[in-house]
Amino acid sequence: MQFENPFGVAEIIELGGSAAVVLLMVGVAAVLGFRMSARIDDSELARLAEADGARVDCAVISQNGRAAFARLSDGRVMVARVMGADVSARFAAAKAVSLNVKAQRLNATFADVGFPPLKMRIDDSPAWLNDFSGGGGST
Amino acid sequence: MTPPQAPFEIPPIITYAVPAFVLLIIIEMIVVKLSKKGRYEYRDSATSLTMGLGNRVFGIMFGGFALLAYFAVYEFRLFNLGWTWPVMVACFFAEDLAYYWFHRIAHERRFFWASHIVHHSSQHYNLTTALRQTWTGTLGLTFIFWLPLVYIGFPPLMVVLFSGISLVYQFWIHTELINRMGPLEWVLNTPSHHRVHHATNARYLDANYAGVLIIWDRLFGTFVAENDEEKPHYGIVSQLGTFNPFRVAFHEWLGIWRDVTSAKKFGHVFGYAFGSPGWSPDGSRKTSASIKAEWAARHGAPAPSPAYALATNTDDGGKTAAGVGAGAP
Repeated sequence: MQFENPFGVAEIIELGGSAAVVLLMVGVAAVLGFRMSARIDDSELARLAEADGARVDCAVISQNGRAAFARLSDGRVMVARVMGADVSARFAAAKAVSLNVKAQRLNATFADVGFPPLKMRIDDSPAWLNDFSGGGGST
Repeated sequence: MTPPQAPFEIPPIITYAVPAFVLLIIIEMIVVKLSKKGRYEYRDSATSLTMGLGNRVFGIMFGGFALLAYFAVYEFRLFNLGWTWPVMVACFFAEDLAYYWFHRIAHERRFFWASHIVHHSSQHYNLTTALRQTWTGTLGLTFIFWLPLVYIGFPPLMVVLFSGISLVYQFWIHTELINRMGPLEWVLNTPSHHRVHHATNARYLDANYAGVLIIWDRLFGTFVAENDEEKPHYGIVSQLGTFNPFRVAFHEWLGIWRDVTSAKKFGHVFGYAFGSPGWSPDGSRKTSASIKAEWAARHGAPAPSPAYALATNTDDGGKTAAGVGAGAP
């Protein structure tokens, strides 16, 4: 059985044209100013936690207000990120998080491979973050 | 046995529709800008459109396998239905029913959800979201849901034609700009019905799987009306938190791989791959059923069931507190 290259001239032209149209539409969106960025604050974190049936015990919010890491009342952690005009919240078991804080930079990785690492600049490093360094919280 | 020839050349419906897609997206952007209703974000749109482009690339590479499967099964068809108007009408309904079950199972079984999750991964809801399509549809065997149609005897190209029409129809319902559409809400899948489908609010989970006709949801008990008092929050229950198209395309497959390779028993392998999204042996993860049960407990409402949803949901704003079917996000 022989497999032919499915990409002929017509397909290349179609895909090239589509790529150009994608660039056009993204360009129009940018020109129209659709760069809205939500900001994360304590009340937003409280709302997100409450929506998942928990409360925020303690939290750090990035200097630019676009990301946050919080420990919840039920021992889990919540990671919040600004996603355009919305905020993405993800909840994880404390043991599924590994944290590294150096020189006002917080890096968190997650056992969940689908979840991108969290990198953010923070003003200070509260002591409770140490519970998560090297993988796993105290709870 | 030679398949009956179509009496006309099957038009590449989706290709023909692309200029209209582009025009409508740009019009929607301008209306959103002027009216402040609806939301756009250029990085989110870039990801959605890139997923659409990638879908086409993978379609060129692997789409032929699905067509091959259609023609192979068609060789064993039960009836010679041919190309007549009554058959085409029947095919429209049959294709829409097949779409309903594909879509429902794509939400209820993780193997199929791994492809379909892509379409739900945006936290925005606009016309570009419609083009946020999977790259792994054919490889993820989604075409098998249409094989019964060709086995019955509907010509494969007729099935392809109505699949294309269904996809084109579903483009325009991805908008926040259109509110309710009067009596059409009873029969057709509308922007309002589909907003519910894309919502992560507990009351809206696992609802409105329709392609063109909402009647299937009403019939099978998965219909939930949009409630004016509860604005939909879009995306997936565990939000992805990235605009990276590769992570969007493959994250759930990686998740399945990680779970399956770390499973202790064969039953767990099966559960991780084909159970509800969120299934785990110890029940420590959340499924949409558990999310709805928690939500119902918090709001003092009975845990909803499909029959309950059928009995309690109406088009008048859905005042019922618990109108969602069983299953997964």
